[in-house]
Parts: sequence; structure tokens; C-alpha cells
Amino acid sequence: MELFLLVLRNLLARPVRSLLTLLGVLVATASMVLFLSFGEGLRRALFQELSRVGPAIQVVPEGAEGFVFGALPEIPPETLKALEEAGKALGVRALVPTLFLARGGFDPATSFFFQGLPQGVGPDLLYPGVKAKEGRLRPTEGGAVVGGKVAKRSQLSLGSPLRLSPQVSLKVVGILEESGGLADNLIFVPLAPLQRVLGTENFSAILVALNPGQKAEAVARALEEAVPGLKAQTTGDVMRFAERALRISDLVRFGISLVALVVGGLLVANTVMMSVYERTREFGVMRALGARRGFIFRLVVLEALLLALLGGTLGLALGGAVSFAINLYTLDQVGLALSAVTPRLSLFALLVALLLGLVAGLLPAYHASRIPVVEALGRV
Amino acid sequence: MLRAEHLSKRYRQGEKEVVALLGFTYAFPKGATAVVGPSGSGKTTLLNLLAGFDLPSEGGVYLDNLPLHQLPEDERARVRLEYMGFVFQQWNLIPTLTAWENVAFPLLLVGRPRKERQERAFALLERVGLAHRLHHLPSRLSGGEQQRVALARALALDPPVLFADEPTGNLDAESREQVATLLFEAGKERTLILVTHDLELARRAGHILHLKGGRLVREETPKAKG
Repeated sequence: MELFLLVLRNLLARPVRSLLTLLGVLVATASMVLFLSFGEGLRRALFQELSRVGPAIQVVPEGAEGFVFGALPEIPPETLKALEEAGKALGVRALVPTLFLARGGFDPATSFFFQGLPQGVGPDLLYPGVKAKEGRLRPTEGGAVVGGKVAKRSQLSLGSPLRLSPQVSLKVVGILEESGGLADNLIFVPLAPLQRVLGTENFSAILVALNPGQKAEAVARALEEAVPGLKAQTTGDVMRFAERALRISDLVRFGISLVALVVGGLLVANTVMMSVYERTREFGVMRALGARRGFIFRLVVLEALLLALLGGTLGLALGGAVSFAINLYTLDQVGLALSAVTPRLSLFALLVALLLGLVAGLLPAYHASRIPVVEALGRV
Repeated sequence: MLRAEHLSKRYRQGEKEVVALLGFTYAFPKGATAVVGPSGSGKTTLLNLLAGFDLPSEGGVYLDNLPLHQLPEDERARVRLEYMGFVFQQWNLIPTLTAWENVAFPLLLVGRPRKERQERAFALLERVGLAHRLHHLPSRLSGGEQQRVALARALALDPPVLFADEPTGNLDAESREQVATLLFEAGKERTLILVTHDLELARRAGHILHLKGGRLVREETPKAKG
């Protein structure tokens, strides 16, 4: 405690320098928190969505594992037939072929995501809990059902025209209530017009609904065996894949933020080293009075740790605030909180900041504790 | 008792060897002993060796038969903390600590609780006439006041040996007298080793050791004479 006060006094004795160093660590930590918060946000959003997905199994072409939205229309009708045969033998409840089409650019406000559903199937089968706010719940032959957020964003109402291509257009026949899920941002259309637009008879994925008591893993493996060239993913598979993909992207983003962290660490090291040089005599006096080397070492390391911890905590707060602001925007635009400062991310950020301080403080501390007393006191 | 036996210190300065102290032998009695001599006579080197700041090239320093020169650095620091007090020419107070905190610093190093440290520091500062300056930082104190704080700090753990290196060198006449009186007062009940240029100050000590060219050339006992 006393040592801590001694360190604090020293930092306060040079307020401008301490503040600048603190700002360096703050910016480094905030940028790291922000970078990594996107991974946490995506993880949270994906798992929330995936856990809501109705069908227990998604069948996609081999090599397109992961996210069903990214799959190209590569499953031909014959494969669907073969799957239906196999499914019958396995006693599955239903097989739902589906197709995806994305229109627009990077700006979420001008992007549209269409999901094609077969006749008689509504979004409620895939996204349990969705309800119609206006009109129908299921798409009809020339009619689309629009997610709540898309409708609001693009000012669509019942009867509004939706142009899929110059040749193909539909009318809005239903608007869904906002549920906070992915369905809010999708437009559900019948399969046929979407296939016309894409010039294919194929499907992107086939969703398999099971009867109660059926084991998703076992059915998935049996389907893969029955129809080669396909990957039958259970929700667990997708979650594992998503986790792997997110880990890799976490590492990449951490790598980028490492640059800022290294700069922050060098700032702390520089500040503490300067402080050590300026206080050589003071350390000499302490040693002359009877302080051991370890006392001086701890004093200097603690100074670096304190700077890093203060900077880290403030950086975490700033990162959290910016993440909150980003979420306000993305929630409004795409209905998803893209960034999340989770407890484990906060803990990680503080640990990284502390490690930074420790590493930055070690060299100056070692130097300070090894200066000969006679030299430090100028008594040579 | 502090004792030096055949104490020598040699430095290398490029190709040349410099002898800073040669064959110094002396047993410091209780009371004040002044070490005098011109610049370069080896006074500072002697104090560095006696206090364990530096190690001798030959010979040894013994504190009640404890061979200080054979102890590792941290052990010498412990001995200094428990048995020695220091007053330097440049006061050497810790600038970020207040007067009482500076005095209490050795007590902090031995792990005494805050209340005890505060009581001891307050009492010592009162003894050196600085009861009204307890919470002042060194930068707000005059030279004489800073030196009195340094003296109080040297006495914090009531050490049997007290070193004073030119303690009045940077002070005006009034402060000089104040510090000298307090110093010799404290030196009555312990071994005080006073290194100084100031012969007048030295004459107030029981013994005077004259150094020249790194050798002890003469020993005087002015009070016994007088």
C-alpha cells in the first residue's frame, strides 16, 4: 500500500508525461477492445440465430460448409429426390429446399437478402416464433413476405412492388413482426421466381426437419452416406465451424491491434526509463538508506503496471462506449448488435494491459535496481 | 564498534592505476570522529567503504566483528538500514515525500506500521525544531530545514553509527550552527563519523583523522588536548 502511494506520488509529480503515456495505453487498449468486440458480437449474434433455427440439419454442397447463406445454388433437383428417398427411409419429418439471393452493396440500407421457400412453407418453420404483423405469413405465387426491419427501412407496405430482376417482380403480401432475429432482415419469396432470376433449377441448401426423438447427428451422417457429395450439417456443426472461423478472425484482429499495443508498451517503457534516469540519485539515496534491490525493482515495475492498468481500464471503458455507439447504428440498420464487450473480452483486455506494463517495466526496473550506490549518489 | 583494517581502494583510470586509499586502519570509538583532508585525500572513498557503498580492494570493515566487506550487496543494505544513519551534503531527501514521510522512510523499509512511523517521525522532527514543517515537501523547505529533516531521518531507527558527509557544506552560518549542534548532540550517544573540509567544525569532535594522498597521516584528540 505504501509502495503504491510512493509510485502514485511519483506519477503525479510528472502529470503531463504520465497523462500522455496513459493516453497512449488508453488508445491502444480501446482499439484492441473494439477490434475484438466485433468477433464477440458476431459470435453472440450467430449463436443466438443458430440456436433459433428450426430445422435440425442443413444439407449443403461439400466444401460450402459453414453458413448456409453463403452457399451457391449447387444442389440439383435429382439430389433433392435422392435425399427425399433417403429421408423417407430414415423417417425424417420434412425436407425443405431453399435458395438465397443477395442484392445490393456494402451499405446495409440498400442491401436485400431473399430466401426462396417452396410452396406452402413459411418462415415460421425456419425461424420459430416469427409472426405476421400485416397480411400473410407465407409467400404466395407472386407474393413476398418481408421482414419487419426491411419493411421499415425500405418503406415497404402491403402491395408494394419488389423487383428481383428486370423480368421478375413480386408484390408484398405479408410483413413480419420484428423479432430481433435474422428474419427481420430477410425477404421470403417463392422458390420458382428466385430460380428464374438465378437461371437455375438448383437449390443452395436443403433444410431437414426431424421428428421428435430423432438424433440430428445420426441422421446427418446417414444422409451423407446415402447421397455422396453433400455435407449434412447439424446446428452443432455450424456452431463449431463458426467458432473456428471466428477464432481465426479473432487472431487476425488481435494481430492488427498488437501494433497499437506494442506502441503503447514502448510508450510506457520510455516514460518509466526516463523516470528512472531522472531519479537515479533518489534510488541511490534509498539504497544508501538500506533499501534492497528488490524494493527498487518493485517500485519501478509497479509504476509501469499502474500506468498500464489505469490506461487499460480507461481504454476498456472507451472501447465499450464506442462499441455501444456502433451497436446503436448496426441495430438500427441490420437488426444485429455487431459488437460486444463481453466479460471475458474485458478481462482479456485488462490482462493484456497488465502484461504490457509488466514487460515495459522489467528493463527499467532491472536497470534501476542495479545502479551502484556510489554512482547513483555521484560519490565516485 | 566500527573498525577498518588495512583498508585500501584502487581504481583503474584507463592504463593508470589510482590509489584512493591506502592501508587505513582505525577503530572508531563512541562519540564524534572527524575525518579531514584536502580534496582527493580519500575522505569520500573512506566513507563509501565504511558504509558499504563500495567494496575495498584490500583490507576490511568490521561492525562488531561482522565483516561488512564480505557481505553481498543486499546484506550490506540491511546492515546500513539497521545500524547506520546518513546525513549527506546535498540533503538527498526524496522529493515526492513530505518531511515526516522522509523521516519515516527507514521505518517503512523495516515494515513498521503507519501509526508508529508517524509518531516516531513527528517526535524526531520536533526534536530538530521542525514540528511546524511536518507536511511540507522538501522543495518548500530551506537548506537548513532540509538538512535537519535529513538528520531526523538518519536517527529514525536509532542507529549506533551515524555518518555525516560535509553536513554543513551548503548551509548559511545560522543553519550551520543549528545543524552542527544537533549533529554533535546526536553523536554523543553513538559513533559519529564526520567527513568535512571545515576544520572549525572538526574541532568539535573528540578525534580528528587527517588524510592526505589516501593515507592516514595524523590523528588528533583536540578535546583531550584542550
